[in-house]
Amino acid sequence: EWKGWNIHNPGYPVTTALESFIDDVEAKTDGRVAGRVYNGAVLGNQADSIQMLQIGAIQFAEFNLGPIGAIVPEANVVSLPFIFKSVDHMHRVMDGPVGDELSAAMEKHGIKSLAWYDSGARSFYNTEKPIEAPSDLDGMKFRVMNNELYVGMVEALGGNATPMAYAEIYQSLKTGVVDGAENNWPSYESSNHFEVAGYYSLTEHLILPECVCVSVGAWNQLSADDQVIVKKAARESAELQRKLWAERDKSSREKVLASGVVFNEISNKAPFQNAMKVVYEKAFQDNPTLKPLVEKIQSVD
Amino acid sequence: MKSTSKKVPLVERVLDALAFVATNLAGAMIVVLVMSFGWLVFGRYVLNDTPTWVEQMAMLLIVGITFLAAAVGIYERTHLSVEMITLVISKKVALFIECIINLLLAAFGFALAWYTNDLMSFTQFQKIPLLGISESYRYLPVVISGGLIFIFSLYRAYQGLTGLFNPSSKNNELGGQ
Amino acid sequence: MGLAILLGLFALLTVIGAPVAFALGMAAIAAFFYEGLPLMIGFQRIVSGVSTFSLLAIPFFIFAGELMLHGGIAARLIRLASASVGWMRGGLGQVNVFSSMLFGGISGSAVADTSALGSLLIPVMKEKGYDDDYAVNVTVTSSIAGIMIPPSHNMILYVVAAGGGMSVASLFVAGIVPGILMCLLLAFAARTIAIRKNFPTEPFAGLKAIFISFVASIPGLITAIIVVGGALSGVFTVTESGAIGAIYAILITALVYRTLSLKDFWVAVVRSVRTTGLVMVLVGCASAFGYMLALYEVPKLLAHALTSLSDNPIVILLLMNLILLVLGMIMDMAALILICTPIFLPVAVGLGMDPIQFGIMLMMNLGLGLCTPPVGGCLFVGCAIGNVPIEKAVKSIWPFYLAILAALMLVTFVPAISLTLPNWLNP
Ligand code: NA
Ligand code: NA
Repeated sequence: EWKGWNIHNPGYPVTTALESFIDDVEAKTDGRVAGRVYNGAVLGNQADSIQMLQIGAIQFAEFNLGPIGAIVPEANVVSLPFIFKSVDHMHRVMDGPVGDELSAAMEKHGIKSLAWYDSGARSFYNTEKPIEAPSDLDGMKFRVMNNELYVGMVEALGGNATPMAYAEIYQSLKTGVVDGAENNWPSYESSNHFEVAGYYSLTEHLILPECVCVSVGAWNQLSADDQVIVKKAARESAELQRKLWAERDKSSREKVLASGVVFNEISNKAPFQNAMKVVYEKAFQDNPTLKPLVEKIQSVD
Repeated sequence: MKSTSKKVPLVERVLDALAFVATNLAGAMIVVLVMSFGWLVFGRYVLNDTPTWVEQMAMLLIVGITFLAAAVGIYERTHLSVEMITLVISKKVALFIECIINLLLAAFGFALAWYTNDLMSFTQFQKIPLLGISESYRYLPVVISGGLIFIFSLYRAYQGLTGLFNPSSKNNELGGQ
Repeated sequence: MGLAILLGLFALLTVIGAPVAFALGMAAIAAFFYEGLPLMIGFQRIVSGVSTFSLLAIPFFIFAGELMLHGGIAARLIRLASASVGWMRGGLGQVNVFSSMLFGGISGSAVADTSALGSLLIPVMKEKGYDDDYAVNVTVTSSIAGIMIPPSHNMILYVVAAGGGMSVASLFVAGIVPGILMCLLLAFAARTIAIRKNFPTEPFAGLKAIFISFVASIPGLITAIIVVGGALSGVFTVTESGAIGAIYAILITALVYRTLSLKDFWVAVVRSVRTTGLVMVLVGCASAFGYMLALYEVPKLLAHALTSLSDNPIVILLLMNLILLVLGMIMDMAALILICTPIFLPVAVGLGMDPIQFGIMLMMNLGLGLCTPPVGGCLFVGCAIGNVPIEKAVKSIWPFYLAILAALMLVTFVPAISLTLPNWLNP
């Protein structure tokens, strides 16, 4: 029986879609492939679970591409701020040749990616004021995830990038250890960060795709027919997930706005995007494989 | 540390030295750990420039401290254990059981070193974010710890065996402090 | 079968006296092997369990506690307690409980309290005509205050075992009232015995003496304020507050009290390393063990079993307490927190209990286990210091057990005791 890793709790779009994926596979393969999803990261954090998948301790998983970048350097391309113009643009890129290229790179590391899920667009939120321009971040402490690119992004915008464990953010926002953080609407809502940081500014600086992945070991043991079935099931679950995500995105947004969160769109994103030049240049220096990928992504309309 | 009487065998002196080095290395790490957090708070408030390496480095240091100290704990027999059965069985049987436990610990130490060494090569090209060094450094102290646990428990097992077959030996004493 | 190997091997290895941490680790690895899972991942779980950010506060609290211990703070706190409550009936018994309450707010560890306060107080009590078993019993049982009154590294373990999402600061604050309540009940037990046995009292030292001893202990008490207050006010995160507490402890004992020599400092460092190693390797191995428990879906199975026994919440809560008490008697606290939290917390939450209240109940329950044979860290240390056979101490300890059990029942069935303060302060 396949074991599946998932960081989210029951009822979350990813969870529902991933469970429907494995149920679908079991039904369509007449039980030749069956599995179970272990929700809520009970089997370990994402970095550890990627290793588990690579080694074959688990057979499938749903990963955010952000942390995959630590293992598959090419995948870091999606962590470049403002690389995608919109969620739709991300879909077009990932469902096209660039997505295939990333899949191939991941496969070399033992991760067979079958379909791309959504995690929306991440924007800045904080306890003090609406952010309209990069200068608004000056001197403010923003929590970021552990990745040089995210740290570089906040620093390039003039903020104080503060890496911090996810569990510590709520308390830190509440008491002022940090002034802000960044995430998508559903996480902003479900983590209750909106209760303590009431300004959400729609920078949409990061649009991180997620993937349904199977370990290459488990994949190679499937017959060609079953591979087709599994892949198809993954694609279909991705359609479901994107639909559920869009609904959740909307309901989360409505919920936090109804609670009195002050929300603003960014009228001109160019100053933010221009500030990212240093981040991109540094990234190309550290990781030359990113440059052609960036060009390909930018050429997708 | 054991008292250093004149007739301490060479092996024991070497192991004493290993335990001493491991303990003090871990001690230095805990001091660095505390100080780096002082620097973190200072950086965030006074410089308004949070040092981004502290969190990741702390998670490396805690592994180093834990596993070095855990190995020494095997040597000094300070790990928590349940000593119920030793109260109801004869001294000889107890000594025998302790020998078996030490052999199991040695096997565990060996496996710990072996498989974390595998993890080291597996993660060799993976970078720890914000530190820029290889992920394999996380496992290095564990490999060393596994090796130390192996040596320390083998020696304790050997001591137990000498005690078992030579009841007058000075090693004929149950551990535990 | 795999589950039988996991649990059976762990039980067997523990009973024959293997270190609990390694018994957990070996049982987990054996189960990995049986299930055909890569052993590399078993060891990855062990290392990853240690390499966890939220746990960093543990070495910090341990270090700060050791520094205060070797820097002369314990002696000053006892002087304060002696001046304040020594004149009551069974004076030194009261002093003992009160010292634990004060000191418990600094060390974060019950065993450390027993050894620190016990080595200072037990000899004095014996000298003044108190029975040696009484001296040991009051020291041992009141040291549970170290777990209940913040900071407390066991509470951090609980938050981590519960899967995060709970505020450590709230849990810390929640422990204060139950901790004090338990100490009051222990003081009452100590007084009752003292009257019956006609133990001596101390002369009242006067308000001035109370004031002087209070002032002398202020710099030490500030450590607790830094650690707890720093986290509550948002100057630091809980993790940072532990480190700042340790740095403050170094400065205060080295520069203000001038009682911390470089040699004492290094003794404190080495002792902290030792304790950290023991606790954290246990955490690591428990995390591999917990991985297998999660794979076998044990928490779900046990929750079903427990709720199928009865649907009366009172019965289930009593049953949980009973299971925890029995486990606490034979096993160490840290391991039990890590193993039992994922199993029992969902059941308790299902009954409508607040996770914070459950945490406080768990702490007090397992704290009692530290004072019981056959395995009780505090009892062992106390008996060793007082030079009293464990059998003798246990014969006369029951009034203190009763006091803690009474406190435990109050905490279990009266949510307000745990929750009023955190709700009011809303950290
Ligand atoms: Na405490
Ligand atoms: Na116990």
